[in-house]
Amino acid sequence: MLTAVKNQMRVCLLSVKYNIMREMVNKVTFLTNICFMLLNNATFLVQWIILLRLREDVGGYTMREIMLLWGLTATSFGLSHILFARVFSLSELIIKGKLDSFLVQPKNVLVSVLTSSTDISAIGDFLYGVVIVCICRPGVGGFFLFLLFAVTGAVIFTSFALLLGSLSFWFVRMDMVQDQMVMNIVSFATYPDGIFNGVTRFLLYFVIPAGMTVWHPVHMLVRFEAGMLFTVLGYAGGLTALAVAVFYKGLKRYASGNLMEARL
Amino acid sequence: MQAIRVENLSKTFRVKRKEKGMRGSIKAFIHPRIEEIQAVNGVSFSVEEGEMLAFIGPNGAGKSTTIKMLTGILYPDGGRVEVMGIDPTKKRRQLAYEIGTVFGQKEQLWTHLTPYDNFRFFGAIYDLSEEETEARIGELAERFGLAAFIDTPVRNLSLGQRIRCEIVASLIHKPKVLFLDEPTIGLDPVVKENVRELIRQMNREEHTTIFLTSHDVGDIEKLCRRIIIVNAGQIVQDDSVEHLVSHYLDKSPANMQAQDRACAVKTGNGEAQARTLEEIIVDIYKSKEDS
Repeated sequence: MLTAVKNQMRVCLLSVKYNIMREMVNKVTFLTNICFMLLNNATFLVQWIILLRLREDVGGYTMREIMLLWGLTATSFGLSHILFARVFSLSELIIKGKLDSFLVQPKNVLVSVLTSSTDISAIGDFLYGVVIVCICRPGVGGFFLFLLFAVTGAVIFTSFALLLGSLSFWFVRMDMVQDQMVMNIVSFATYPDGIFNGVTRFLLYFVIPAGMTVWHPVHMLVRFEAGMLFTVLGYAGGLTALAVAVFYKGLKRYASGNLMEARL
Repeated sequence: MQAIRVENLSKTFRVKRKEKGMRGSIKAFIHPRIEEIQAVNGVSFSVEEGEMLAFIGPNGAGKSTTIKMLTGILYPDGGRVEVMGIDPTKKRRQLAYEIGTVFGQKEQLWTHLTPYDNFRFFGAIYDLSEEETEARIGELAERFGLAAFIDTPVRNLSLGQRIRCEIVASLIHKPKVLFLDEPTIGLDPVVKENVRELIRQMNREEHTTIFLTSHDVGDIEKLCRRIIIVNAGQIVQDDSVEHLVSHYLDKSPANMQAQDRACAVKTGNGEAQARTLEEIIVDIYKSKEDS
């Protein structure tokens, strides 16, 4: 059992390494992708700097909380897209019958699929997030807490995309829904939760999990609450279990395909 | 020992149907019409260890669907499958150690990496140690003549070189059964012959069972002694290539060489005329379609 896990980890790490090697073939594209993502994220913070000069806070968030918000969103999103980028195109793999090569390998099919691609621009997101949070000086304990929430955030991003992508075993064109819903997390999570009320707020915590990915963790980075920590951990674990169960249930309906294709 | 055992295997796909044009699209949007396509219908056969079998049929006959059920890619709707005594639906991962697959139309290799890096990745997938992987790469590279391009990115290889690398990648873990789905598609005659020789060599030296689907009659004639013909999801012929030719040409097996391709057959007016295995197979396809 332990050997099997060790071997699976070896393949995952090799897969991520090969993904990065593949992207490094083109040095200019590799570096510009990362740099432009850093720059792109930085422009959004400039807007907030201007806005918060006009008023003291927005939805209860000062500049420090806004930076934590952006830092955590970028790091979680980046980590998820560096390690598990393929989950964000899972719908396409299912619809076009591209899971075949993973299914003939003696490894966990889901883990092999998830780690089979890396989004290089996400390295820019990840670096940006870490730098922004470091500027906020969260302290040693706060920094480790931030790393923990970066991981739970990445897990929620990945599981949410996996859950929606797996619905493609039943419904065609779930790729659009998957893309839209995942980007909704990012769109909402980068605004203070104080500006949302009632049903919208409930939806943003439990249906589009922006609250569990970023808002709760930011609250805890400002003022720690153990209850909130367990809620986030429980939500991440529950969502992962649900997404994995739906994927394997759907896999029995997988229809493959005969399209000519190459592993790019 | 039997390498593959299939009993009453079935698979149905649900396909959406739509009438022509925009009106058809609107109708299908409101009341979608779903049809069931029986891709494989009660197929039974077995393959002995070390055998080289051609599993052929016209497009849409159910060949690829059958191969995909044998390799654990698709779940059957009914029937039983065992490959090297393992049920693919229950122990897919365990089965993967025993089989190799080459899909001529689908690449398994990472195109931006070299064949060498790819082989090392496949070695890790099959839990081979670094030393075992290196030794196996060396052995296969020599046998398949890969030395000249083993460090060239796969995307820069010719089709023939790529297919050779695909086959090597599928053999890295010494599989007992090799599934080849149209391995020579798009290759020129010289490279085709080269690939066939390598497959023959694997069968001869490592006693690998070969399960081949191909539309190229040359592959069948030159590699396989037994042929299964499927059409509309059912087996319509399961025979030795030699017997098939002799039966359809009404000549004694002693005088018949499948590899000859051109065989004498008596026509209505008694004149001898050249007839190939390809023509015989086409006749079988057509006669089953008519019936």
